[in-house]
Amino acid sequence: MKVGVEWLKDYSDIDVDIKELSEIFTMTGSKVEGYEIKGDNIKNVVVGKILEIEKHPDADKLVVTKVDVKNEILQIVTGAKNIKKGDIIPIAKIGSELPGDIKIKKGSLRGVESCGMMCSIGELGLTLEDMPNQIEDGIMILPKEYESKLGEDIVDVLDLRDNIIEFEITPNRPDCLSVEGLGRETAVSLNKEYKNPNEKIDKLNIDKKDKIEGLKVTIDAPDLCYRYVARVVKNIVIKESPDWMRKRLKACGIRPINNIVDITNYVMLEMGQPMHAFDINSIANKHIIVRRAKDGEILKTLDGIDRKLDNSMLVISDEKKIDAVAGVMGGENSEIEKNTNMVVFESAVFNGGSVRMTAKRLGLRTEASSRYEKGLPQENALRAVNRAVELVELLGAGEAIDGVIDEYPEKQKEIKIEFNPNRINSLLGINVSEDEMVNILNKLDIKLIDGYCIPPYYRQDLEQEADIAEEILRIYGYDKLESSLDNSGNTVGGRSIYQKMEDNIKNMLVNKGFSEICTYGFINPDDLAKSNILENSELYKEVIKIRNPISEDYSIMKTSVIPTVMKTISTNYAKKNSNLKLFEYAKVYKNKSNIENNELPDEKQILTIAITGKEEKFYDLKGIVENVLETVNLNRYDISRYTENTSYHPGKTAIIKIGNDPIIIMGQIHPIVQENYDISDKVYIAEINMKKLEKYSKKEKKYVPIPKYPAVERDIAVLVDEKVEVLKIEKIIKAKAKKIIETVDLFDIYRNEKIGENKKSVAYAIKFRAKDRTLNDEEISEVMEKIIKALEDELGAELRK
Amino acid sequence: MEEKIKKIKDEAINSINSVNELKILDDIRVKYLGKKGELTSILRGMGALSKEERPIIGSLVNEVRDTIENLICKKEKELKRNILEESIKKEVIDVTEPSKKESIGSVHPITKVIDEVKEIFIGMGYKIEDGPEIETAHYNFDQLNTPLMHPSRDLQDTIYITDDILLRSQTSPVQARVMERQKPPIKIICPGAVYRADSVDATHSPVFHQIEGLAIDKNITMANLKGTLEAFTKMYLGENIKIRFRPHHFPFTEPSAEADVSCFVCGGKGCRVCKQEGWIEIVGCGMVHPNVLRNCGIDPKEYSGFAFGFGVERIAMAKYGIEDLRLLYENDIRFLKQF
Repeated sequence: MKVGVEWLKDYSDIDVDIKELSEIFTMTGSKVEGYEIKGDNIKNVVVGKILEIEKHPDADKLVVTKVDVKNEILQIVTGAKNIKKGDIIPIAKIGSELPGDIKIKKGSLRGVESCGMMCSIGELGLTLEDMPNQIEDGIMILPKEYESKLGEDIVDVLDLRDNIIEFEITPNRPDCLSVEGLGRETAVSLNKEYKNPNEKIDKLNIDKKDKIEGLKVTIDAPDLCYRYVARVVKNIVIKESPDWMRKRLKACGIRPINNIVDITNYVMLEMGQPMHAFDINSIANKHIIVRRAKDGEILKTLDGIDRKLDNSMLVISDEKKIDAVAGVMGGENSEIEKNTNMVVFESAVFNGGSVRMTAKRLGLRTEASSRYEKGLPQENALRAVNRAVELVELLGAGEAIDGVIDEYPEKQKEIKIEFNPNRINSLLGINVSEDEMVNILNKLDIKLIDGYCIPPYYRQDLEQEADIAEEILRIYGYDKLESSLDNSGNTVGGRSIYQKMEDNIKNMLVNKGFSEICTYGFINPDDLAKSNILENSELYKEVIKIRNPISEDYSIMKTSVIPTVMKTISTNYAKKNSNLKLFEYAKVYKNKSNIENNELPDEKQILTIAITGKEEKFYDLKGIVENVLETVNLNRYDISRYTENTSYHPGKTAIIKIGNDPIIIMGQIHPIVQENYDISDKVYIAEINMKKLEKYSKKEKKYVPIPKYPAVERDIAVLVDEKVEVLKIEKIIKAKAKKIIETVDLFDIYRNEKIGENKKSVAYAIKFRAKDRTLNDEEISEVMEKIIKALEDELGAELRK
Repeated sequence: MEEKIKKIKDEAINSINSVNELKILDDIRVKYLGKKGELTSILRGMGALSKEERPIIGSLVNEVRDTIENLICKKEKELKRNILEESIKKEVIDVTEPSKKESIGSVHPITKVIDEVKEIFIGMGYKIEDGPEIETAHYNFDQLNTPLMHPSRDLQDTIYITDDILLRSQTSPVQARVMERQKPPIKIICPGAVYRADSVDATHSPVFHQIEGLAIDKNITMANLKGTLEAFTKMYLGENIKIRFRPHHFPFTEPSAEADVSCFVCGGKGCRVCKQEGWIEIVGCGMVHPNVLRNCGIDPKEYSGFAFGFGVERIAMAKYGIEDLRLLYENDIRFLKQF
């Protein structure tokens, strides 16, 4: 909401400068977004009168003039065509300043001295909208009566000075979307008396009538229309509004149109009550009906667009057609025209939520709807329409017809809030006396009756004690609130086991050279195909779609972390950043249940680890994953090759399970996916399900005694088929050695033509130890024999000697 | 005899003193102390001495032997030390050659801010809570005193999945969930991602992070809220930081405030970061609205509480001098490695 300070002065004395005023407003709750000082950029421009015009001796297109600016006569050379002797014009004297940082200096045009400049409206920073009777390309000619003001500052003469404040009004204060509301705030904030310029209007008593000039009103939907007030004016003369009104409208950011429209806007700005003006002859049978629209009804609104309406929307109609979308915008068919003779002023109160939904659905948010949607007081409607009619007469725009139609099914309820100063003090942690509180409430026009606060009609936001507490505090001063720490002190802070686990892993990864990334939760549907997520897969079927996406790029929630991680890697490769080591804690979102039945989808926290490079990095990735498992003390798990996830290379991907429960997938990203994301190196990714990691992690550590008896070490090398997974060999060794096994370490894998194609030689260092005795050679040899036999039998292994 | 022994002693001392090679010192040891050495042969020839002379000469020989042994030992240490020092002099490396370190990684600046904030609030008795990002309108709005028709629903452009399910537009629904399942006293913070229908530019992102705080107990006051935020900002941003409360409106708090801190970049003098105002708006806060308490099953007559919410990106950008929000989500490794 923008307001000129000049207008606010109608309501309160203002004796501080605009900077201080802005700070005071901000501290009492009407936040100032910024302010603008108008007229400050025009200096030393005065009213002058042309005394004579002579031809320039050396230039056909120039003239030499003598101008009277009181006390001196200036010689000014100009090329202007529209001037004549005796014209009253704005003169920028030597040393004057004009908008756009222009400074006027003494000059000489074709050898003739020129001591100033005649100004056009553009040079004064004005437009035709400000000065509708002027021209754009030529010198501004002032009215004759300005001859008495020769030498006076043009800023004062044209009344160009104003300070405009822009407020951020919070949605609980629709009353402050009006100059009147802000005027009240000005008075209370500056501790001045509130001056009500509309006292006469407030005391006015107009007869209520069922019909005026044949006009009658029916409210068909009292749940959406709380009050409908109408007055009629006749003998309308459509013309421009006076300068003072145009100036005030423009200061508030509203474009002047004509006197009738301007009056409706002026009253809306002044009192916060939107208003609509109809041509009475456009209303069929002069019967206004406020009803719900029928599904599919169409209205061409004032902006020339056909609007399709539905049953949830309230409309102002007559016996034949719709004339306006209630609280949002009027229809073209009832617009005020040049030949309009009789006008109906509507001042109505509608259900705020309904107007808000209608405006949203139509994609049509207007000055009116943005006020209505916050919920306006019914009690304001009558005074507003009376004010409009008063302005019609004041402006000579028409004649008032006596009487008012006032359909008001249920009077606005008065709010009563118990006043308990002690509780207010203890909620706020302040110590303000009851007298001071009462004083504040008085200033805010909140009445105290029998221990209850009765807020004024325009403060429907005040509903309970906490609201009163806020009123007390904002006027008493938020800055007077003293800091203190609460003394409850009976809570214990800290991280949960899971949160500690996340932190430990994060620290480990950072120490190992990994950088954390942060990506969005949503992706482009194209990313599914790019990541090779197939249509028959769960990752595809469980996708959650966003109903109102900002763009295609953010239109579905990710079921896999691959797209966003690949995109990050891709961005880095495009900038020549390679050999990346990245990680992220991110969520994936899956529609497991039925989201349409109001059941929340499944959100899983995934730790993603990614490595890129030219060489094979699978075992680097596996190493880091093992470090993660060590960090959470998880050492019993199964690893096997995995081919089910199509984003991954089927030959270079593994899954880690606890029993049958998969917790980690890791491997090389499928070369096609790598290519789709335009990455020149191989990409290796591990996805770790954090909740499952927590579930299976060992939370408590137990000390195992350091062995007392010596270990026996044996090496063994076996030749096996390439397709035999080494984990099987290890498992057999462990199974056969049973309790006395300590460690089995694979220390060499050897491939060579000599040992044959599709064969490998695998060498292990095996360490045996018993808890309770020293092992002897015979015992070990026996076990070794069993191991070798099992390897031969089960894997077709061949012992290498 | 004694003369002879003394002579041996003097001779030995002289030659030990003048020696400067380990090898020669070894020869000296053999010459005097070895099995065929001069002193040993005297001991061997003791049989020829008288009963009276024997102990005298014996002890004299041993005494001389000890002396020589000690001197040799000392000399040996000295020579070895000299050798070591000589070799150390040659062992010079270029300490300015590059190291062989494994580079360490980095924590994302958003996480860094969240971690630092968590740490301070944990110290003040807060626990950390989490909630779903895909949330019901019930928790995101209704429980927070923002019913369907409430004008505040317009303040934020919410991203919807269905009529009733949406991407949470704030971390506040976590408050409601915690209040429903836990009895006061409650002290929690909930960091997390939130979503708004904003297009991406230098200061907007459809995803950003908030840290929500909530304290509920008997006798919690608005002064406590200010005190808590003041303690936090002093610890996080510096002892000299000042805090200022301004009235504001949020549907879920009453009274509500916006808190500004004195600009921690320029110290309040006015700079680009604070838009020459000297203050940076960082927290929206207030006393938990009685309707919210009631909705969550807490009696506002018995309990009161405060809530506050920070924008993480805003703090990270001001703190680290990041001018474009997009940098945070682009994840250029050259950017990430700076944290």
